[in-house]
Parts: sequence; structure tokens; C-alpha cells
Amino acid sequence: MATSPSSKPPAIRIEGLTKDFALTLRGLKLRAVDNLDLTVKENQVFGLLGPNGSGKSTTIKVILGLLEPTFGSCEIFGIPSNNVRSRMDVGYLPEAPYFYRYLNGEELVRFYGRICQVPKDRLEDRVAEVLEWVGLKDAARRRVGTYSKGMLQRVGLAQALVHDPRLILLDEPTAGVDPVGSAEISELILKLKDAGKTILLCSHLLAQVEGICDEIAILNRGRLVLEGDLKSLVSERHRNAVMVENLPAGLEKELGAWLEAKGARLVGIETPRTTLDRIFLEHIGYRKEQGSSRQVDENIARSDAGKPEAS
Amino acid sequence: MKTIRFSPERVSIIARNTLLEAVRQKLFSFLVLISLGMILSSTFFRDFNFGSGELKFITDFGFGAITFFGSILAIVATAQLFFSEIENRTALTILAKPVFRSEFIFGKFFGVFLVLLFFCAIMAVSLAGVLYWREGELTREIPDAFADGRLVAYGDIFIFVFLQWLKFGILAAITMVIASFSNTNLYSVVMSFFILIICHLQYLARDAWEALGVLPVKLAVGLLGLIFPNFQLFNLGDQIALGERLPGELALRVALYGLVYILVFNAVAIYSFRKREI
Amino acid sequence: MLVLAGLLTRPIEAPAWHQLREREPALNLDRIEGALGQGVTVALLGGFRAMVANFIWLRANHHWERYDRPATTALIHLTTAVDPRPLYFWLNGARMIAYDMPNWRYDDLGGIENVPRDVRREIEREQSGIAFALLDNALEFHPDNPSIYIDKANIAQRRIEDLELAVEYYRQAALQPDAPFYAARIYAELLRRLDRHREAYEWLVELYPRLPPDNDAAMAPVVLGRIRDLEDHLGIPPGERYQPPARARPGVPEMLVP
Ligand SMILES: Nc1ncnc2c1ncn2[C@@H]1O[C@H](COP(=O)(O)OP(=O)(O)O)[C@@H](O)[C@H]1O
Ligand SMILES: [Mg+2]
Repeated sequence: MATSPSSKPPAIRIEGLTKDFALTLRGLKLRAVDNLDLTVKENQVFGLLGPNGSGKSTTIKVILGLLEPTFGSCEIFGIPSNNVRSRMDVGYLPEAPYFYRYLNGEELVRFYGRICQVPKDRLEDRVAEVLEWVGLKDAARRRVGTYSKGMLQRVGLAQALVHDPRLILLDEPTAGVDPVGSAEISELILKLKDAGKTILLCSHLLAQVEGICDEIAILNRGRLVLEGDLKSLVSERHRNAVMVENLPAGLEKELGAWLEAKGARLVGIETPRTTLDRIFLEHIGYRKEQGSSRQVDENIARSDAGKPEAS
Repeated sequence: MKTIRFSPERVSIIARNTLLEAVRQKLFSFLVLISLGMILSSTFFRDFNFGSGELKFITDFGFGAITFFGSILAIVATAQLFFSEIENRTALTILAKPVFRSEFIFGKFFGVFLVLLFFCAIMAVSLAGVLYWREGELTREIPDAFADGRLVAYGDIFIFVFLQWLKFGILAAITMVIASFSNTNLYSVVMSFFILIICHLQYLARDAWEALGVLPVKLAVGLLGLIFPNFQLFNLGDQIALGERLPGELALRVALYGLVYILVFNAVAIYSFRKREI
Repeated sequence: MLVLAGLLTRPIEAPAWHQLREREPALNLDRIEGALGQGVTVALLGGFRAMVANFIWLRANHHWERYDRPATTALIHLTTAVDPRPLYFWLNGARMIAYDMPNWRYDDLGGIENVPRDVRREIEREQSGIAFALLDNALEFHPDNPSIYIDKANIAQRRIEDLELAVEYYRQAALQPDAPFYAARIYAELLRRLDRHREAYEWLVELYPRLPPDNDAAMAPVVLGRIRDLEDHLGIPPGERYQPPARARPGVPEMLVP
């Protein structure tokens, strides 16, 4: 194994990961992930962020061995992803999960528990435990087919946790869930961290991620555009967000003038959660200006060239 | 460090879940009902004097219904159960667990195989029941024809249905091979029916093989005969309905043949599914 | 891999397939394809042969109920072409052709009373000829089957009242390995009616020792009675009369057997 014996392997190590999807049999390819290097240390909440289609889910699937990398490699706790053994300590909540509708919540979690070979004598307790933990105790005997979106996410979380894994991969856990529900899920994620787990969280809803992530990585068109400690990232731009409670209307101008007098500049008054949105958007914009749409242009050129041959 | 090995238990968990899903699907009940309906309706065709031939008619009819609807069930249920996992992304959650791809394929296969067993068992019992009832009635009506006792070889009926079950198993495994690399349910179903027909007709190619002169054609035809299993081998029903006893050795050979092909096609399905992107 | 599997299973498959092929008469596709659609042909090849034959037979019976001679005849032939194995397609088909159809033809000609005797004979001969041809065809698939000969004999005897022909068919029936005992008796009886007493006598004398004594259907005592009648008729002196061989009967001491 590549890791030195003294240091524990990280929860996830991704090296030079590239993933191409063949779009046509003629060789037109889409690069979903482009030369990605990423390390997720143990016991943190790691946010993998990016707009739709930026390659987040693809990355997660490669980590789980559901997809084969085109180039590069992935390891979970030092075990290569193509080894089934690497999945023993991982829980996974897929994007927009959907489960066997004809089972009830309890049966579903039990099914996954048995798949993971949770010992028989512990299984029932464990199923009840995780269901209570995700707040589905009362709905445990209802059929999954009758669950709301938020409940599906919760039961998905329960099945991801049933075998008590050390690493949990959550793909858009709050997508389509109402604000209360997503706040609860955020809380659960923090609790998992307190319990010593490592969480990789995928999202395009940056506001929700902001409060819980220790580290983030931002992907755009499959490329890593920004990575680092969340707190330092936010303060990186020589900006400060001042949080004010009950700011009276009409005070903004006064505040602006006061700040200008002090040599600072009031950029705007926003609720804090937009701060991250902004950094993120700036980065995307920045990349676009640098002409990173090269790949798409290439594809178009390729498909144009292919046309006369095809007909 | 924990190790992980192929686990028959995981296979059986997936198989049972597959069975549960299949039984909840309308297709299964629909095919069971329509086949039962056919077996029962065969007793209405007696307005002309069939005598003991009526029993043959019922047997032919029942075997036909089992073969026909069982083949449909084997193909459609396999494709449907496989693609419901892929399309509903439940395969994602299963394969993200410490589960071998081979366990997934075997689990799906044995689930379908169990569904087919249920189908075959229901059909065999109903057919035997209908025959037993009509035989009893006919014995009272025309005792002469039944002077030697019961005419229907009930044991052979069950052997026949058992062999059909194995044939459906091969068919399900073939469908699994196609589903393991194809993208749509419909494509898999159509391809499987196509292969079903080839498997029924491959003997014609083999018959023609001897007569073929051109070497490349001869090789191609020979290969065809080797690649596809010979489904005509399972057409033993006509013999039984004619009142001939099924030689035990023949049944045994056919069963062995079926088992080998079930394993082979499962292996091919696993091989092809190994690298599938979920 | 599949080729390998094909090669490996050949030793299992080949003998079974061979055995099966021997029991399964070849599909005569040329004869069937014209009459049925492609779909039905595929069904035949797919193992639904018996079922297809049953349905054609049902159609034949449907036309039979409506006295439709051409349709019934054609469908009988088609049924037996699709599945020549069930004997009753052949036998019942031949009976419809020989016994029922002449009556339909009389009706077409204005009822049996209005048909001259020689025209009737002609019709009966014609229909019986079709039936004989069908049964001869049946013999190709069921050689040695006495029922086919017996049906031929019956048609000859009852329908065209040709005893010479009936005798010949009964003889062939009686010579088959699984012939019912009555075929041999009827053969002798018909010989007697044709005044061929000597032949009948020799036949029965030859037959008697082969009859199992403990089988009611064999009617050994009746046969012995007929032998005696024929001896009377032929005037065979008592010294030359047939002596049945002494046979051990179960439970009966040998010396007590007459
Ligand atoms: N199976 C696939 N075949 C072809 N293209 C795919 C496949 N899966 C994902 N993609 C493409 O890869 C890109 C990245 O997708 P994804 O990883 O799902 O993005 P995200 O999760 O960040 O929204 C998208 O352009 C998507 O259309
Ligand atoms: Mg995604």
C-alpha cells in the first residue's frame, strides 16, 4: 500500500481521476470528471460542491466502484475502490433516492442491514435505532411508496447508516426537501461528525452546506476550481460579513457613509448565506472567461466532423 | 483487516426481495390467471366425441399454455426486474454496499427462477387437477376406455413441467446476459425473444450442417449450433400427452443439459455485468 | 465460452436429442406452410405442434357439424400432416370420410331414397378409397398398428361390403404383434362366410395354442368350439381331429387338463 505505515490512510483519496462517458458509438465522449485530486481526511464534513452536471455524482460513483475511472485511482481508507472490501465501511445515500415501494421503512432498512451482514442478534435493535435517529420511528411501518420526498431522504440516510460505517457519502441529501427538513438533515450530519464519522456531502445548494462543512471543493465541468478550509475560503477575499440583528430600514446609507469615512467600503447588505454563493459564482465566471468551455467546443467540432462520414 | 467472500446468504436476500417484487407485479398474476384460464377452458371443448382423446387435448392445451406463458414470464420478468433495479437506482444502493456483482446477478436470477418455479408449480398442480377430475368423469362415462386403470401419467406431467422450468431458467439467464449490457428493457425483451426462436430452430441449422459444402458457411452454421442451446430438447410434452412414458435417462440428460446452460449463461451475465456502469 | 459450453454439453445432449428425434416424426413443412401462415409455422417449430393440430382438428369438427365435405376433408388431412402421432386423428378422420360423408352426398342428391343404387355404390367406393388412402398414410407413421388395419377392415366390410378385402385387412391386423384377440377370430369367421372353411380351420388350429388360457378376451374355449364346428363341417374324421396341447394351468394338475 502506498501510504506510509505511520500515517493512517485518509477516508478518501482520489488521484488524477478522469471519467469519460461515451456518448456515441463513434467515439464522441463527454468528460464528466477531469483530472481530479482530492483527499478527504477522517472525521470531517467535506462539501463537494458545483452546479448541476459538474461531475459530483460521477465522482461519488467512482469512489463507490459503481463506475470505472477512465484514468486515475480512488481509495477508501486505503483500499482501492474496485475492491468490494472498500465498501464495507461506507454508507451511501444516492441522489433522489428511490426504494422498493412495497416494503415498509423498517423492512427496507432491515433488507439493507442484512445485505451488509449486520449480525442477526443486533439487526433488529440497529434498525429501530437508525429509524429513530433519522426521525422515522412513527412511519417505520408505513410503505415506502407512501413516503414524501423528505421521508425518502431520511429512510435513505437510515439505510446508509444501518451497518454503522465510518464514511458516509451523501449525494444531494437536501434536494427537494423543505427548509425545516433540510435543517434537520444538517443537524443529523453534524451529529454524525460528533460520533466520529467522516461525511462527504454533495450539493449545489451552497447555503445549506455552508453551516456544516469543514472543508469544501468546488467542481465545474469536472474540474476542481477551488478547494480548502471553508472558513479561510470565505475570508480569503479581504471581505468581512458583519452580521447585524434587527437592522432598521434606511440605515444602510448611513452605515455606508460611516464605513467610507473609515476607509472601508460597503459592498452590499446581504444575508450571510449568499456569501458563499457569491464566491462560487465568481469562480465559475472567472473560469468561463478563461475559456474553459474548450471541451464543449471540441465536442461540437468532433460531432460536426463526424457528420459527413455518418451519412 | 476484515475480509469479504462470496456470500450465498446475500444472494438469497436479493433473490427473496426479487421474488417479492415480482409477485407484487401485475405481470405475474396476469400470466398465472390467463394460463389457469386456458387450462380450465380446455375442458369446454368436448361437444364432439373425443373420448379419452379429450385428456390428450387438455394435456396438450395445458402444456402449450405453460410453455407459452412461461417463456413470456421468463423473459419479461427477468428484464423488468433487472431494469427496475437499474432505472429506480436501487441497484445503486445495493452495489454501493459490500456486495459482489456476481451476488447481484445470482440474486436476481434465483429470484426470477423462484418466480418461475411458483408459476410452474401452480400450473402443474392445476393441470394435473383438471386431468384427474376429467379422467374420473370419463371413467364413469366410458369405462371401456379406462379398463387398464388411469391413462394419464401424472408423474410424467410433473417431470415435464420441471424440465420446462429448467428451460425457462436458461431463458431467464439468457435475458440476464442481454440485460447486463443493454440499456433498455424493450431491447432486452426483443433480443431475448429473438434468441428464444433461434434456440428453437438451431436444430434445423445442425441438420443442414451435414449437407453444406462451403467451408465458411459450414463453420458459421456449426458455431451457431454450438452457441445456442437446443430448446427442442425440452419438447417432451407431446410424447407424454400421447401416453408414452418418458424414459428416465432422457429426462435426466435433458435436466443436466439445462442446469449446465443455466450456469453458463449466468457466468456470462456476471462477466458482462462486472464492468457495467451503474 | 458459449462455444465451449456447446462442446462440453454435446455428449449429454446428443444421445438425448437422437432419442427424441427418433420419436418425433419430421415436420413436413412443405405440406403445411401453404395451408397455414408463417406465424403458425413458427408455433409448430416452437413446440406447439400438438396444440396447433388440436385446433385444426377442432376446426375440422366444426365443418363436420355443418356437413362441409371439402373443408372437413382438407382439415383432416392438415391435422394429420401437422401432427401424425395421435392415432385418433387418423382413425376418426377416416371414419368421418368413409361413414359420414357418403350420407352428406346422398343428401346433396336429394336424399338416400332418390339416389340410384349404383350411384350410391360409386359414392361409397369413392369415399372409402379416400379413407383407405388416409389410413395407408397413417401406417407410415404407425407401422404394426393393428387398429389401422381393423378400421380398414371395418370400412371394407360395413361400408362397401367387400368381404374379400375385409378378410385381407383382418388378416393383416391379426398378424401384428399387438393385435387384439378378436381380430384373429373375426378373420376366421369371415373366411367361413366366404366358404373358405379349410383356410379358417387351419388358421384357428394354428391360433389356438398361442391363446393364453387365463385371459377372458382370448376366449380360448370359444375358439376351440369353432374348431370343432369347422371339423364337423369339413367332415374331418375323429382320429384326425385337432388335439389341443396339454398345458399347465395355474393351480390345475397337468393330468386333469383335457
Ligand atoms: N451514465 C452517463 N452517461 C453519459 N453521461 C453522463 C452519465 N452520467 C453522468 N453523465 C454526464 O456527466 C456530467 C456530470 O454528471 P453528474 O456527475 O451527475 O453531475 P452532478 O452530480 O454534479 O450534477 C453531466 O454532464 C452528465 O450529463
Ligand atoms: Mg448529481
